[in-house]
Amino acid sequence: MKSDKELIKEFQGGREDAFNELVKRHLPDTYGFFIKFTANLVEAEDLAQDVFIRMYKALKKFRFESEFKTYLYRANINMSNSYLRRNKWRNLLHLDQAPEPAYTDTSQEDEWRRKELWDAISKLPSKQRKVVTMRIAQEMPYKDIALVMGVNENSAKVSYHHAVKSLKDVLK
Amino acid sequence: MNFEKHIKEITYSNVNSLDESIFLEKLHSKRRRRDIKKFRILNGLSAAVFVSLLGWASFSQLTDDPMIYVSNDLKPMEIMDIETEIYVYELADYLVDTSDDIWETLAFLDEMNFETIAIKNNRGLE
Repeated sequence: MKSDKELIKEFQGGREDAFNELVKRHLPDTYGFFIKFTANLVEAEDLAQDVFIRMYKALKKFRFESEFKTYLYRANINMSNSYLRRNKWRNLLHLDQAPEPAYTDTSQEDEWRRKELWDAISKLPSKQRKVVTMRIAQEMPYKDIALVMGVNENSAKVSYHHAVKSLKDVLK
Repeated sequence: MNFEKHIKEITYSNVNSLDESIFLEKLHSKRRRRDIKKFRILNGLSAAVFVSLLGWASFSQLTDDPMIYVSNDLKPMEIMDIETEIYVYELADYLVDTSDDIWETLAFLDEMNFETIAIKNNRGLE
């Protein structure tokens, strides 16, 4: 099986199929991340598509300074932050509605609990929000979180601890 | 209960499978649609810039000197001497009286070369 690096090089060389292979390889993780994040299959698919569209453009100039997986995690986190910002405005303008049951995998009550949790996460400071998102939605170890964030492992742990404490206060 | 466990439970989902081929198909069509949209926006902007530049260039050609805008068509009338003018008025009266058609008279006067008449009149004066 070809590595991510080989696939990216082939894509940069003009082989479009290499990009498709890369998407297929990382789709379950990315889609799973956004499912946890939005609890809405349609929105999760949309966000995953947006991330891979960005990747399509970015990979042409990718310089292999970091692992592709790390790069993709960062893109997921950035996309989730934009989504949270968008949703904040949607909530303010009362444009949000409960998704139709056919599109969700949980009950209405679970849906609202999840919404409440992500609303609280969206209000956390940027660093804490990123750490908690990676930890909750992607179940990443601190070592990887530290790598994605460009901080040391202890700093990631401290941010997570603060975030969980704040969430506990908000959600109790 | 461990709060961390609690928030993980809230976000738990057992749905994470997606048809890869359909996803890729949608992804590429969305990407192409965006590219077309971007191309159209760029084209629109370029057209707007071109029209603005053309407008500015045309406007900068305008001047406050009214003589620039005086039509060349009026020049033969300007050089018409008084005798020729009287002759043309008399001719016009006669033509309108005899033909009863002012438009035909106008067309006839339009086609007439007054310069030759003016020269003849001037020679008569000399």
